Amino acid sequence: MPATLGLAWRLLRGGGRRGMLGALLTFAAVAVSTGLLLLAAGVNHGFAQRADADAWRHPAGMSEGRATAVQALSTDYVRGRPVTVVDLAAVDGRVPVPPGMPHFPRPGEVWASPALADLMRRLPPDQLAARFPSRTPAGVLGRDALVHPGELVAVVGRAPGDPVMTAGRDDRSVRETAASPQRIDHYATGAVSPVPQVYQMLAAVASVLMVVPLLVFGGAAARLTVARRDQRLAALRLVGATPGQVVAITVAEAVLTAVAGAVAGALLYAASVPALARITIGGGRWFAGDLWPDALWSAGILGAVPVLVGISAVVGLRRVVVSPLGVARRQTPPALRAVRGLLLVAVLAGFGAVGGSLTGMGRAGLVVLLVFVALAFLAINLVGPWVVALIGRLTVATARRPARLLAGRRLVDDPRAAWRTVAGVALTGFVAGFLCLLNPSQAALDGGPADRLELAVPPDRSAAVAARVRERLAGMSAQVTVRHAETSDDGADMGDGPARDDVVAAAVPGGAAAVDRARTALTGVVPGQPATTPADDPTARHLMADLRTGALAVLAVSFLVAMTSAGITGASAVLDRRQTYAMLRLAGTPLPVLDRARRQETLIPLVVMGGGSLLTGMFFALPFAMGVGTAGLLTLSAFAALGFAGIFGASALSRPLLRSVTADPAPRPD
Amino acid sequence: MTEPVLIGEGLIKRFGATVALDGVGLAVGRAETVAIMGPSGSGKSTLLHCLAGIMKPDAGRVLLLGQRVDTLGERRRSELRRTRFGFVFQFGQLLPELPAVENVALPLMLGGTPRREAVAASRAWFGPLGLAGMEDRRPGELSGGQAQRVAIARALVTRPAVVFADEPTGALDQRTGHETMRLLVDATRGNGASLVLVTHDPNVARWCDRTVEVRDGRLLTAGAV
Repeated sequence: MPATLGLAWRLLRGGGRRGMLGALLTFAAVAVSTGLLLLAAGVNHGFAQRADADAWRHPAGMSEGRATAVQALSTDYVRGRPVTVVDLAAVDGRVPVPPGMPHFPRPGEVWASPALADLMRRLPPDQLAARFPSRTPAGVLGRDALVHPGELVAVVGRAPGDPVMTAGRDDRSVRETAASPQRIDHYATGAVSPVPQVYQMLAAVASVLMVVPLLVFGGAAARLTVARRDQRLAALRLVGATPGQVVAITVAEAVLTAVAGAVAGALLYAASVPALARITIGGGRWFAGDLWPDALWSAGILGAVPVLVGISAVVGLRRVVVSPLGVARRQTPPALRAVRGLLLVAVLAGFGAVGGSLTGMGRAGLVVLLVFVALAFLAINLVGPWVVALIGRLTVATARRPARLLAGRRLVDDPRAAWRTVAGVALTGFVAGFLCLLNPSQAALDGGPADRLELAVPPDRSAAVAARVRERLAGMSAQVTVRHAETSDDGADMGDGPARDDVVAAAVPGGAAAVDRARTALTGVVPGQPATTPADDPTARHLMADLRTGALAVLAVSFLVAMTSAGITGASAVLDRRQTYAMLRLAGTPLPVLDRARRQETLIPLVVMGGGSLLTGMFFALPFAMGVGTAGLLTLSAFAALGFAGIFGASALSRPLLRSVTADPAPRPD
Repeated sequence: MTEPVLIGEGLIKRFGATVALDGVGLAVGRAETVAIMGPSGSGKSTLLHCLAGIMKPDAGRVLLLGQRVDTLGERRRSELRRTRFGFVFQFGQLLPELPAVENVALPLMLGGTPRREAVAASRAWFGPLGLAGMEDRRPGELSGGQAQRVAIARALVTRPAVVFADEPTGALDQRTGHETMRLLVDATRGNGASLVLVTHDPNVARWCDRTVEVRDGRLLTAGAV
């Protein structure tokens, strides 16, 4: 084994400029893949951390039967930003210390997150600080108490008999932002509220959508290196190297490169984390530490990538190992089997059968969807070369000009190589198709008016509450009205309880500062229930906006991968065929003909497979379709425009290379 | 010698400090076959490349039917190589993806002949060159001698004025080499084309009407210029 490693190392170092270029391509591809895999794992880890950090705020109830504290949750707003307020009251001396705090808050104490403490200092007290029992925070909440760095959170200590600790909250429909007082003996852990779970699920879907093209990309890069070395390895077979030795040398060579690439990818990711942490998702930026996958995942990715590259290299070498002449003598390749096409049909049919019921299956539905999406990716990747060969045969049959004939013959000759060039974009087509139907329309993102403060109260108390609201807002030109449940015009019966509340509304002119002054003035009118505007509830808007951000991010990553992939494979295809190109030039073939052939060889399968994948992606998104809308159409158009522009760009990059390898067509300098 | 078709005069070509051609002159008559001999590194292939418009000489001139070749731009020289010259090399000249008949048809198609006509015209070459039935085989499915005969067909299919051959039998055994040379010389003469052949093998050179020898970039035998 040391001898094999030594030989692999010598071959790697002594491969000359071309060999070194191949190794560099693999190195770069593995680095990018590893970085993006770490990102996928990091984002999942980040959402899990956020879910954990969110969990303790939701009253967990009791596990042992003896309450030590009372906990309630409400959400207030300042300048349109949510302020999470956790009210805590000790029942006995064994109260659990909340996360991010040194001790349980005493009655009247307010602990604020750094961002909230800052706002309390900067804004006039009648706009924010006066809402709390103490205008100055007793302390600042630590990182463990926070979902994200800029979050506004207040932990308020109260007496058990405080009206805030006894009044119920309207938490039937908004479990996310409000919870009625409950007796507890511990704090909740894990993902307890639905929104973090949704984010985690979306992150998982995004990961699958990103990871499969990445693996294909990494594999293609590895095989590419092998393809560029197979002549030499075939020579090794001819001088008597056993298949095992050839495999060992190749694997060692590919893995050595991949390990270096994986380490570089990890460094690349580490360098990107500060920038990534600034991306706003779920209403806030990230704690940089949350974006690092845990040690097990990091080690798994750093270990798995080189192993996968090694496996890809072995698969790429199969021909050489089977026959030492396999590379040296080009023969009519055996046709790919149509069973590849059937596989995709089977996956589509399977999804068609169960897809409709996925939305009702909860978490299991998500798992089924992820499995099907992964299967669809693999099926497209398997069916791709078969379709490319089919397109090649059709192109040959209909070709009249030499460029088209050359392109068609090349597709038939090595459909897998042609597929590798377009696979990235085709798989991105699947992602674009899948996501374009999930794009929320602008209407879904628009909230209601931001200057109408509302309090939901039982009908029998609405008149009294309205009178108190008028009293508190005296001098603020507010127009106070009561909307009775029976005459509610929004038509939405949000709750499933027996009675619906009246809404006491106060239209407050004067902008955000005036609204915040009014909110402060209305604190305590309904204990535990801050007044909110229809524009306030940010969860759905955040989710929708984040869905769009996430979709665009996944698309951007996919495109980045696809373009890099197309560029790398295009350039190496020119290098691999430099002798053929030189001979054709020597015999008088115009450079534009060679260039056209090279372009058509990529564009013809791209159009067919890109379109096919797009439709497949849309088919998979149908059960969750939100309507295409403007955003969906934009996504589709962007996919088409970027796909072609990118491939043209990648193709244009290899044109100077083609010119350079054919610049001096003389076969020998003798 | 008949009226010269191709003339090289005072050709000089340097690669860095190495002088590959040092004032070489050579004239080739119509339907004449000329062998250029010399040891490795003597400059014989460089001479062929300059005559064929593959390389531009640093000094001197090349004329085809009285017209300067060396002063033409790359595009015109490409066109000239495609329409007026044919090439047969030792290896690597056939496209592995194309069947034999399409390899032969390619120069015609590049010249604008429709595919159907180009393929039909190419098929006509297979019988006389002993390749009947091999039209649809790919280069990897042909023997070395068969592949060279396909290359000869491809070189002649455009009815060129001059065929350039660089060690065309270098990769073949003696018997196959002789058979290939016979076909090359006969087919070239039969089409009224001239042949410029580079070889280091006197047995191959013997097939030609005339042999010139290159040493250290100079012609030892008079090139009749």
